[in-house]
Amino acid sequence: MNFFKRAWLNLTAKKGRSILLILVTSAIMLFVLAGLLIRNAADTATNNAKQSVGATVTLSANREAAFKKMRSSTSTSKTSRPKLTTSPVKLSDAAKIAKLNNVASCTATVSTSANATGFDAISTSGSSDSNGGGMKGMGGSTTSSGDIAISGVTSTSATSAFENSSSKITKGRGITTADEGTNNVVIESELAKEDSLKVGDSIKLKATTGTKKTYTLKVVGIYKASSSTSTQQGPGATDPANSVYTSYTFANTVKGAKYKNTADSVTFNVSDPAKVSSVKTAGKALINTSKYSLTTDDSSYQTVKASMANVKSFADKIVWLVAIAGTIILALIVILMIRERRYEIGVLLSLGEARWKIVAQFFTEMVMVLIVSIAIAGAGGKFVGNQLGQQLVSQQTTTATTTSSTSTQQGPGGSGAPGSSGTGSVSAQKQAELDINVSVMDLVELGGFGLAIMFLSIMLASGGILRLQPKKVLID
Amino acid sequence: MLKANDIGYWYDRQENSLFEHVNLEFKSGHSYAIVGQSGSGKTTFLSLLAGLDKPRAGQIELNGEPINQLGLTNYRKSHVAIVFQSYNLFTYMSPLNNLLTAMAVTSSSHKGDKKFAMDMLQTLGITDEQMTKNVQKLSGGQQQRVAIARTMVCDAKLVVADEPTGNLDEENTQYVIEQFQKIAHEQHKCVIIVTHEPDVAAACDYAYRLAKHEFTLEA
Ligand SMILES: Nc1ncnc2c1ncn2[C@@H]1O[C@H](COP(=O)(O)OP(=O)(O)O)[C@@H](O)[C@H]1O
Ligand SMILES: [Mg+2]
Repeated sequence: MNFFKRAWLNLTAKKGRSILLILVTSAIMLFVLAGLLIRNAADTATNNAKQSVGATVTLSANREAAFKKMRSSTSTSKTSRPKLTTSPVKLSDAAKIAKLNNVASCTATVSTSANATGFDAISTSGSSDSNGGGMKGMGGSTTSSGDIAISGVTSTSATSAFENSSSKITKGRGITTADEGTNNVVIESELAKEDSLKVGDSIKLKATTGTKKTYTLKVVGIYKASSSTSTQQGPGATDPANSVYTSYTFANTVKGAKYKNTADSVTFNVSDPAKVSSVKTAGKALINTSKYSLTTDDSSYQTVKASMANVKSFADKIVWLVAIAGTIILALIVILMIRERRYEIGVLLSLGEARWKIVAQFFTEMVMVLIVSIAIAGAGGKFVGNQLGQQLVSQQTTTATTTSSTSTQQGPGGSGAPGSSGTGSVSAQKQAELDINVSVMDLVELGGFGLAIMFLSIMLASGGILRLQPKKVLID
Repeated sequence: MLKANDIGYWYDRQENSLFEHVNLEFKSGHSYAIVGQSGSGKTTFLSLLAGLDKPRAGQIELNGEPINQLGLTNYRKSHVAIVFQSYNLFTYMSPLNNLLTAMAVTSSSHKGDKKFAMDMLQTLGITDEQMTKNVQKLSGGQQQRVAIARTMVCDAKLVVADEPTGNLDEENTQYVIEQFQKIAHEQHKCVIIVTHEPDVAAACDYAYRLAKHEFTLEA
């Protein structure tokens, strides 16, 4: 193994050339490493997204079946007005589903409305006047909605509006499971300002249906809805500032006695987004599917997954492009080096050295250079990887969010409740950060790439050694 | 020990052959000079004897065995040592490492014997200090001494040299001539030197002149 010693002596004697080789190789390794790091980080981000990005299954009334029923009843009894009857979700059903594997938590939503009594609801110009207070005098339809939209929830923090930060508690606290059975309420900051309401104050709401009773509620918190939420409101809904959160039990009370222990919908958070469809299948077996339906929403996960797949494929391209370019560059350098060292090669040949051992000497020299370069690249790789990764992610997320915001607008609850805003976009942005770190495995992988690059470039350049006539050492 | 059997060589066409039907014999314990005008083909002939190229016609035999049957690489490794006009040492090594490398590559029976290599350098007037610094820091004469030492640490019974004194001054030339004669007469090797210097040729036991495509023994 004399070629090891020759390689070492050569590298240490020709320091200038060795340093140049190390610099070039380090640059190549740095880019390969950056690509590998981004690719691995994208994998990790996708896995993390599985755990942290919410995927949900929602139990609600089967509207499709209800519509069908309505149409068939219309055809038989033409006298009566068509009526859409949907059954509220029974909490006992929900409890069964909540016990399934992979269901992390569940939150019930009950939407209703009531009229502000003793304080003013925010009125937006025009349309909103036809509702609420204005309607009373006209003695109109019994199904008219009040001017305050009530979202009965299990806890505010579990609603999508709070989860994706489009709504935030600014004073006091949100609704929690501890508020079940109480008349505690969380109101919007605009409404609080308009009526000078503070945490601890009381407001009165009059039910528009059922008993038409008046309830006194205690303000326990004030939230601020970002303006984007308001764009989600359907026509005929009240101003978003008139949306209040209470415990779902209060909302049921307002709706009437028969709504006790029910909800408009119950949303289950699934711990592993990949298990969403199996939860749905298992859940369907537990409910009456003609009355209720289970819908899934794993769009946030899909968004992150898609954006990370883009980042990954780009990183793959970087790795291959740099690897190919690096091989060519190094092959050219080695070709030049072999030309410059043809006398040395000639002497070795004249001493009877096997050609493959001369090739092996060059390969060993390059591997020694590679080892130093990998150490250098390892030190600088985190920095370059971070820069490149940030750039890539910000591009990818922008494109991904534009697509998601158009596709995932329907939310549970349906009405003008603030809980119905899109889910995908904001949380995707939150998750799509690449955590770039250089691990030993990364360096091993880089070493594999480096060895392959060195091997290929030496193979490409070794023609010069294999063809060199030993006689050239005598006659030039 | 070495015989040229009816060999001929040409580069492009046979009509322009440098020499043809050459029959020469070289014996152990003797020194031979090959002289002739520049461009006559001396170096080419030497490259055939050294196993660096194959003759176009005829064959070279080592102790009765054709050298291409031995394999040229194997022949160079075990049987022949070469001294060049421009020394051709490993420029990135010390004299000592040059010798150790040559010993490791060839089939020397002294592989790895540092003391043996140092003694040999010493014999050729290379000081301990010079042995371990880069070989390029030595003068031309010193470098050629290292090159001669290199042939001595290898076990090759045949030593060929192409203008070994071409780059040397009078004093070093004289020294190198003496060394080659010692190699032939004291170590009983076969020494073949291509030269255009009369002094060098005169010191050898035999001198062949290559002229008009033929070798003739000079008096
Ligand atoms: N590779 C080659 N191709 C063609 N002709 C060559 C080549 N090498 C040497 N020659 C020619 O062969 C002749 C002999 O060269 P050489 O053996 O070096 O002569 P000498 O050593 O006697 O000066 C010269 O005329 C030279 O130009
Ligand atoms: Mg010549």
